[in-house]
Amino acid sequence: MFSLESITTLVQDWLNKTFSPNLALFFEFVIVGVLAITLFAGLGLVLVLMERKVAAWIQIRLGPNRVGPKGMFQSLADTIKLIMKEGLTPDGADKFLFNLAPFIVMMVAMLVLAPIGFAKGFQIWDINIGVLYVSAISSVSVIGILMAGWASNNKYSLLGAMRSGAQMVSYELSVGLSVLSIIVLTGSLGLNDIVLSQQDGWWIFKGHIPAIISFVIFIIAVTAETNRAPFDLAEAESELTAGFHTEYSGMKFALFFLAEYINIFIVCAIGATLFLGGWMPFHIGNWESFNHVMDYIPSFLWFFGKTFFLIFLIMWFRWTFPRLRVDQLLNLEWKYLLPISMFNLILMTLIAIKGWHF
Amino acid sequence: MSAASIIFYIIAAFILGTGILAVTTRKIFRASIWLLFSLIGIASLYFWMQLEFLAAVQIIVYVGGIVVLIIFSIFLTIKSGEEMPKPILKRNIFAILAALSGLAYTARQISLYPFKKPENSAAFELKVGDIGRQMLSTTDHGYLLPFELISMLLLASMIGCIVIALKQKEPVNHL
Amino acid sequence: MFIKEYFKDIFSAIKSLLVGMRRTGYYFTHHKEIITQQYPDNRLELNLPERFRGEVVMTHDEVNEHACTGCSACELACPNGTIKIINKFDISPEGKKKKAIDTFVYHLELCTMCGLCVEACPTDAIKMANTFEHSVYTRGQLTKQLNKPDSKLRAGVE
Repeated sequence: MFSLESITTLVQDWLNKTFSPNLALFFEFVIVGVLAITLFAGLGLVLVLMERKVAAWIQIRLGPNRVGPKGMFQSLADTIKLIMKEGLTPDGADKFLFNLAPFIVMMVAMLVLAPIGFAKGFQIWDINIGVLYVSAISSVSVIGILMAGWASNNKYSLLGAMRSGAQMVSYELSVGLSVLSIIVLTGSLGLNDIVLSQQDGWWIFKGHIPAIISFVIFIIAVTAETNRAPFDLAEAESELTAGFHTEYSGMKFALFFLAEYINIFIVCAIGATLFLGGWMPFHIGNWESFNHVMDYIPSFLWFFGKTFFLIFLIMWFRWTFPRLRVDQLLNLEWKYLLPISMFNLILMTLIAIKGWHF
Repeated sequence: MSAASIIFYIIAAFILGTGILAVTTRKIFRASIWLLFSLIGIASLYFWMQLEFLAAVQIIVYVGGIVVLIIFSIFLTIKSGEEMPKPILKRNIFAILAALSGLAYTARQISLYPFKKPENSAAFELKVGDIGRQMLSTTDHGYLLPFELISMLLLASMIGCIVIALKQKEPVNHL
Repeated sequence: MFIKEYFKDIFSAIKSLLVGMRRTGYYFTHHKEIITQQYPDNRLELNLPERFRGEVVMTHDEVNEHACTGCSACELACPNGTIKIINKFDISPEGKKKKAIDTFVYHLELCTMCGLCVEACPTDAIKMANTFEHSVYTRGQLTKQLNKPDSKLRAGVE
């Protein structure tokens, strides 16, 4: 059976045999870095095209169809255009912070990638506090947005940044609580342990109704945290032109754009790992033969399938629902999501203690 | 010098450099950003020591919480975009003196404390579950009482905030 | 009761969200309903909707007769002065003077395709056509005469 684990062990063995341990470690760093950047570039291209196609089909349009067959190279052409464009820095902007902000947002997106398990035995860093690490690092990206908004010296950018900050800070609570309800079941923060604990079925099926509720809350809250419609007040184009990245152009804008899509991928990967079993194939209890058949599908296909399903769900939201007002946004979080997820967490704890889950 | 100590010195230099920049810059927003980098440097020091939990908490509390709060309050201040006036010399001297005396005091305390070398490095490995149990244990070295006290304090401050933010009723005219 | 209202709110919200998602999901899976035209490619078999408004035209039948009496109701109805009607007086066989249209001037460059003139016309002489390839080199070419040369008022139209 094809698996990525054998490739990684092969590469590691070869490196350790040919070079000294320090040098081998260095080469591994380089390989991981190159792979991560390749993944980012590929994801950016695929997700932008996917978003445009999904948008078009939902609105009964055709979508991009001129560049390449079925418009497949559209996002590639857009990238080339963005690279060629001049990166302007507005007058009166804090130049240092203005140029730093897109990199901070991008670096945060890269760092969060580390503990995600893409396939069986294919994980950059199996840190024992995986989920906590993800939520900690992703809270830094709000700083990048605030920095961009401030340094642009533009009222739209500042307003967008402040909205975005308030939104991300408040929705982080719901994300945290809904993630905690799964942590209560698994008893471990490590993403690998969480995946392994779903050997006999995914948590969304095993955890009864509380797991479904926390899944719904998680999806709503991460949609808000990635600043996507219907929660895209931070960049509401009809009110704030583009929010915090109004003044950015060229490659610096492209970094913000890419970071947005990478963040979507990451939150969907986390959601897939927590609720849908990550790379774990679809298993039902102890039906050995059924589970065995499912194991024949490679684990990275399972992971990417689930992740892209969640991404599609979030895109579906974007092209269905109208944007919320600021007061509705805060009402939704503080009056509905947070109390429900707190109550849900207590319910989940009860289930975990009594052992009612499967 | 091993690779680990090189990384330590790089991180330490980063923390100190950004810390100095945070207090010497004359733009208040930049000061907060330098402070942020300094705090991230401390978190990376924790990562270097393989105290992942502490590092993550450092980032959540300081970067995600306090620095964001500072930045928000800067955003809401008038004239926060302008450069601040140069501090007067006397104030500078006293600030440096205060910092140096603090440094001397801390250094002396550290040098006096008899640090024990752990028998095996495995003792350093901290599980999150153990931290949680320690937090809620009522036995020796348990943190249940402080933990609950802090939660009471936070609850009280939250209620206070709500009371302050409550809309005042229209004053009734008693003639 | 507050709690009851609260949960009713949540369930109705979820229900309405699902209704919306069902609609868009329906569109997503039904590509046959795509109405977008790939214009320059399918110029010959262009299939425009009937109610598409391209420009105002005057209908003429095969003996070159139209139904415009020159009442200038359309000129009055037009919000931005697109239509200008120049009338003449025909002498009928009985020797009576009769008002008739001389030139129906239509400024396409001013027209917003609102269709108010078509609604105002009492004799249904004008209608909105589907044509939309209006680009020309000079502005003057956009000023059109809608009644064809030597066309007459159809008998019986008052």
